[in-house]
Amino acid sequence: MSTINFSAREINFKLVYYGPGLSGKTTNLKQIYEHVPGDGKGEMVSLQTEDERTLFFDFLPLDLGKVNGFKTRFHLYTVPGQVFYNSSRRLILRGVDGIVFVADSAPNRLRANAESLRNLRENLEEYNLRLGEVPYVIQVNKRDLPDALSVEMIQAVLDPSRSVPHFEAVASEFKGVVEPLKAVSKMVLEKLAQKA
Amino acid sequence: MLEPSLDLYGETYERVEAVLADLLVKCHARYALIVDLKGFVLVHQRAVWAPKPPSLDSLATLIASNHSANVAIAKLFGEDAFRETVQQGADVGTYVEELGTEALLVTVFDGSAALGKVKLFTKQAVVRLLEALAEDHGPPPTLDLDEAFSDDAAKLFDGLFGKRTQP
Repeated sequence: MSTINFSAREINFKLVYYGPGLSGKTTNLKQIYEHVPGDGKGEMVSLQTEDERTLFFDFLPLDLGKVNGFKTRFHLYTVPGQVFYNSSRRLILRGVDGIVFVADSAPNRLRANAESLRNLRENLEEYNLRLGEVPYVIQVNKRDLPDALSVEMIQAVLDPSRSVPHFEAVASEFKGVVEPLKAVSKMVLEKLAQKA
Repeated sequence: MLEPSLDLYGETYERVEAVLADLLVKCHARYALIVDLKGFVLVHQRAVWAPKPPSLDSLATLIASNHSANVAIAKLFGEDAFRETVQQGADVGTYVEELGTEALLVTVFDGSAALGKVKLFTKQAVVRLLEALAEDHGPPPTLDLDEAFSDDAAKLFDGLFGKRTQP
């Protein structure tokens, strides 16, 4: 689903951070924005409510540089996690190339994680996509919580077959932020190379 | 899918650029751009007198998302879509027309342009663009990506963040 502009020699990819409300999707983008030097990123756009909850999406373009003569760019999006913003989530998934599912380690968010993943599957179906067909990884965030659930327990709910790459993270401290982004990007690029 | 959302390359790309440039002259608009519904800029033109535009990535993303939201709103009322999308500030405005099923033509204008002209010439440009896109322009160029493509990209990712910034 990447957009390839042959005349401008650009390849653009769309990556979406998905997950339940307050799991840390926007925090991931803010940390990436803070740690990427100026020439590698564009403006970060956030459409938020007054209490800084994501209303529509956050957006951050990353410019990787030239690969095989093509200017390669990743557009990162978050979706609003709150349950009642499903229409917005569905719209943001249009043309998605890769997904980072941001799971919350808090014990009382286990059900929310599972419901969000189910919601992701349903919304992808609107575009005739199955989750297994889209490159995706799981970021298990908030590992610094004193009562954080074990990764195994979260995996048992989100990925019982243990087939999806997962990464532990404390996104607010920039720990485990780059790894899932790199992993899903590599999967997306490999998929494109295979098709080419 | 590997294809761009519109087949823009070679002569077609040049013709599209010419149509956009002509649009700017005819209605005295600042910028004209084609964005796909995923929010990527496919081609853009800027009037010689126009100030530097804002981030086109941000503009394209917001235009495409706004369009998707408008279509969703229209469907709530049993409409397929709203007929036109005009946004006007004190000085700057945008006018958006669908370009086929996968892209949008966006005209950005200011107080020196008449809205009626912007609408008229943007609609005419859509017709010309669709004609240009409908012509047979041969197969698209091949991507020719080798196995090292994703590895090279991974190295660039490392460079993007700089290993020293990792905790």
